[in-house]
Amino acid sequence: MSWIESHSKSEYFASEAEAAIAEGNWEKATDLYLEAARFETQAINELETGKPRTLAITYVSSASLWFKGNDLAKSELIAFKGLSSDEILEPAKNKLREIIQTIWNERALKNSGIEFTKASVLISIRGKKIVTGGAPLDLILSKVDQVGKIFYRITEMKLNKPFRKQGLPSQDIQEQYKPWLFQAPAGSYQFAVRVEKPKQSSLFPSLESNVDDIAETFMQVIKTSVEDPDGELKQIAPNDEYRDVLLRLTRNLIPTGKVFDTLEVRAPESPVYQPIVLKPASREYINASLNAASKKDETASEKTIKISGVLKGLSLNKDYLEIDTVEDNDPKTVLVYQTGAAIDDVIGPMVNHQIICEVVKTKSGKLNYRDIQFDE
Amino acid sequence: MRDILPFKNMVDRHPGLIDCVEAVYKKSASVVLDKFHNPPQEFSLKDDNDDYNVLLEWDKPDERTKSALANFTDSKEAGAYGIALAAVEYSRGYVAIRRAEELTGSDYYVAPAGTKLDDLEEAYRLEVSGSELKESKVKRILSEKLEQAKNGKSDLPAIAAVVGFAVKLILVQTLEKQNELD
Repeated sequence: MSWIESHSKSEYFASEAEAAIAEGNWEKATDLYLEAARFETQAINELETGKPRTLAITYVSSASLWFKGNDLAKSELIAFKGLSSDEILEPAKNKLREIIQTIWNERALKNSGIEFTKASVLISIRGKKIVTGGAPLDLILSKVDQVGKIFYRITEMKLNKPFRKQGLPSQDIQEQYKPWLFQAPAGSYQFAVRVEKPKQSSLFPSLESNVDDIAETFMQVIKTSVEDPDGELKQIAPNDEYRDVLLRLTRNLIPTGKVFDTLEVRAPESPVYQPIVLKPASREYINASLNAASKKDETASEKTIKISGVLKGLSLNKDYLEIDTVEDNDPKTVLVYQTGAAIDDVIGPMVNHQIICEVVKTKSGKLNYRDIQFDE
Repeated sequence: MRDILPFKNMVDRHPGLIDCVEAVYKKSASVVLDKFHNPPQEFSLKDDNDDYNVLLEWDKPDERTKSALANFTDSKEAGAYGIALAAVEYSRGYVAIRRAEELTGSDYYVAPAGTKLDDLEEAYRLEVSGSELKESKVKRILSEKLEQAKNGKSDLPAIAAVVGFAVKLILVQTLEKQNELD
């Protein structure tokens, strides 16, 4: 058989598998993917030499099909064979490395004895100060923390928990729906997050299925927050308070461009979701939505001003923030009041960091809080 | 009189498509389009430096189809593939000749209709996105794909296509090899 004949057979079975997925028949799709994988692997051996691009595509395709057919061992073998080839170019080798890392994660999950929700989310950070496999520690810690906060909020939303204004998620949520951090393929700086399923499933029997697709909901929240915060996000997060906090937490993830300029979010196991690329410009839709919401409470005589500085302290119970700023070359500390609407999930990570705070100055000179975001 | 986008019987002309997949793409497109428009609608198609106005015809989806394809994001991506393949067929005479799998989804490889290719060395990989947002966002998606290609993330040569369902816009751009981009 020639390459084209084997590859054609592989294509046929892969297309049938895609149609089976659309029908919701995952078992049939898996069997079809395995059949497609067998023909694609055969196609590798039938390809003439001197066709590097075709070889690369076929290796990636073969490894992907074995993975989709749930035969991790064969997928790994094909991926390593491809990596050892001198003919294959770097973009394809990166894809093969990604497949290998995904396989290792899957295997680690299966061997752990811990049950996780269906899919994971892969976060990649790129920029001038980021190297492959390395990044400033405080940056990564803050991004990991921010992603974790979004996962907890989504979990609470899906379990119809009353909106939490302050403090950590409840103990049962933290213990039952714990996000895990996984190693990710090297390429910029990356990490993967997956949620552990509750051990005691009887605690939330009727709602457990709602959180099985938590990675998918995470992707939807991020995507619609930057693309359609006043439209599609409302369908995913109909509660105003949850939607507001998810918007603000998503905005915290977005780079300002000063330390890194791109944050990419992907769901590696999903056949559907394309990567979501967050750049500084991604803030515009979120800011427009949040500004529109806050302007409803402003009077015609009030004017919004921005204070740039370092958030030194906050007391949400006493209703104020403390910001170190510079005005007319003079360092000073300003207090911003009426922070009642602020959420400590959003603001807490900003302490001792450069921020921009939007305030309204009253006639008496008092500064009242409207919005705050990272400026680093 | 406007030309009609060749969105029907694609399997007769695109060797890389089979009946069931074409059906999924068409139904998915109809579900997404139904959110914004009634058929038929004139779409603006911009391919590199060429502009066209084409008529897109589709069958209104019944309630069963809408329910079955209720995951809007899935339908958007699948529907965009069908429309994008029809668009490159119209503007360039390219058809889907092969498909290849990736970890997330699959890619179509396109080439001029009638091309007999024994391999993929000269075929173009078709990267497709669908959006229901305004024109500026649709254009930004295309820019992001171009930047990814420049950063070496894409297997080149490739064609990027973005379908703006709400704004009735199809953008197609060739992503050249690195030495041609410099």
